[in-house]
Amino acid sequence: MKTKKAVALLCILCMVVQLISCVKDVDFDQASDIVLTPVYEVDFIYSRFDTSQFIDPDEDPSVVIPEIVVNDTLNYDLLGTDFVVDNLEQVALTFEFSNTIERDFEFSFGFLDDANQRIGPSFTITANAGLGAGTDPVVTTEEIILDNATINILGAATKLISSIRIQNVNSSLQGILELKSKGTYFINYEL
Amino acid sequence: MRALVFLCIGVWGCSLYSQNKETLYDFTDLPQSLMLNPGAEVNFEYHAGVPFLSQIHVNAGLRGASLYDVFADDGRNINDKIEITLNELTSNDYLTFTQQLELFNFGWESKKNKSIYFSGGIYQELDVIGYFPKDFAVLAYQGNQDFLNQPFRFSNINGSGELLTVYHFGYNKKVNKKLTFGARAKLYSSMFHIRSAKNKGTFTTIETSQGSNIYQHVVSNADVTLRTSGYASLRDIEGETSSAEVKEVVNKLIGRALLGGNLGVGVDIGFTYKIEDQLAVTGSINDLGAVLYAKDVETYSARGNYVFEGFETPIQFSGQNPQNFLDELEEAIPLDTLSTAYVTMRPLKVNGSVKYSFNRYDDGTCNCYLEGEQPPYMDAVGVQLFTQFRPKRPQYAASLFYYKRLFSFLRTKVTYTIDDYSYYNIGFLLSTHIDKINFYISANNLLEYTNLAKARGVSLQLGFNLIM
Repeated sequence: MKTKKAVALLCILCMVVQLISCVKDVDFDQASDIVLTPVYEVDFIYSRFDTSQFIDPDEDPSVVIPEIVVNDTLNYDLLGTDFVVDNLEQVALTFEFSNTIERDFEFSFGFLDDANQRIGPSFTITANAGLGAGTDPVVTTEEIILDNATINILGAATKLISSIRIQNVNSSLQGILELKSKGTYFINYEL
Repeated sequence: MRALVFLCIGVWGCSLYSQNKETLYDFTDLPQSLMLNPGAEVNFEYHAGVPFLSQIHVNAGLRGASLYDVFADDGRNINDKIEITLNELTSNDYLTFTQQLELFNFGWESKKNKSIYFSGGIYQELDVIGYFPKDFAVLAYQGNQDFLNQPFRFSNINGSGELLTVYHFGYNKKVNKKLTFGARAKLYSSMFHIRSAKNKGTFTTIETSQGSNIYQHVVSNADVTLRTSGYASLRDIEGETSSAEVKEVVNKLIGRALLGGNLGVGVDIGFTYKIEDQLAVTGSINDLGAVLYAKDVETYSARGNYVFEGFETPIQFSGQNPQNFLDELEEAIPLDTLSTAYVTMRPLKVNGSVKYSFNRYDDGTCNCYLEGEQPPYMDAVGVQLFTQFRPKRPQYAASLFYYKRLFSFLRTKVTYTIDDYSYYNIGFLLSTHIDKINFYISANNLLEYTNLAKARGVSLQLGFNLIM
């Protein structure tokens, strides 16, 4: 008798727990809609170009060098992982030149792959001439947007090549050109 | 489907007192009460748990949020809900999962001295706690753009997980009419352990007008450590999923369960003291001990400082060597893999209670007096406290309870527990005693069973014993 009663009670308890325990008002299919859209600000390239570093001040000012070009290649593989390439929607590169040198500068950059072949587009920005040493620098800003298609091409990039070009240089030219830049990386990662 | 949801809740569920068994504590009708307080005042001649079925315990929870917060079917965009939940959670919120399975449990009254009760057995335990790494969740979900000049703290990274078996033997003695004292020796055999705690340092993106570039990305005083044991050898097998490999993993784990793992020792100590016949205080300390991890250990540690300002180009101007970002980073913050042994304390648990018993069973049919025993009280009320020490800070819980012996064959206990976040956690234990056969089942957070998705914690214990 006791046994029956206890078993019956247990059954009732189990049934009650079964009946009252449930998961209501939730939709787990929403998980497929989860999108991570973080935005990262990362420094890109920088440069500081002082005339005294590449023009001998003792040189006769009447000697005019028609053009100076400084080329550089550096290791750059921040786009180099599949995850970044697959989920990077857009990159906005912001460049800020501060110039006190009384000449325009032409700054260009592009990318190389492992075999040192150019890939993707190359970009050229002109930094406006400054007003001379000791004056407030003339600021030139420019934004370059790399869209998803470009990013896919640049996924194979391992090096960045840059060049700075300045024309009609003589020893009376003084001042500093500063370049600061950043990349704003817009990720769109669907879980 | 329901099982899946239970599992989800298990992994992402919630509850504070990961190993608080408030309904079982001092429930002296069950031999399992000796596992929580070796000094519990039990009155068995012998007991034997049904092998593998004497205690099945699952406890899961998430402090700070529930499944409903994110997955509610309310027409709102899930990404908005995640963002709101993310903003509400702090690095003190965590998820826990504890599972225990008694393989064997037995006990007997000493023949020479009836005031002594011995008990012993083996159980397996899985215990996981992960604190919410708020800063890095924000960094992953929202990025650093809105958080310039704000440090992301490595101290947010906190968690541990362990799978082990415990061999134990306990001694329980009624010292006199008032005092019962007990102790239990434990031998731990750890199959798998992972832990990261006490990390230091920050990552900050600083806007700088003085630096070379627009920002400085600064890793400052980083000191991050992840300890593992039992992982390296399994990782080597991993990758292949053929049955032979699975078998090898299983064999390795079984070997470690059978004292082949990293070994440790510990004790439980407890007492029951009757201030007067109806009023008793109890207290216990569980798992005061440590495990020495010496086999199959891999500790990963990264320490250092690093500042990144972008790439200088053309490099000719400064005359410096060309940069290689990854090489520089690795040099500044080297990742070391060590295999030195380490010791970790077991998560210490402290219980205490005050109990007032009343309504003595006395309808004249009891043979107790003839056997020299007191008839049992039918009701009891009291207060219980529980603390468990965790990597970051202790967890606390306080309970009110009511014990009711409905019939000789049916005994129950209801608890009402409060803790950091929940003020309406009701637990219930039901224990049937039919002849020698005992079955018990217990669950807490009963009010939340009406919608488990809103539950922040679920705990369940059940088992079968043979008690005399």
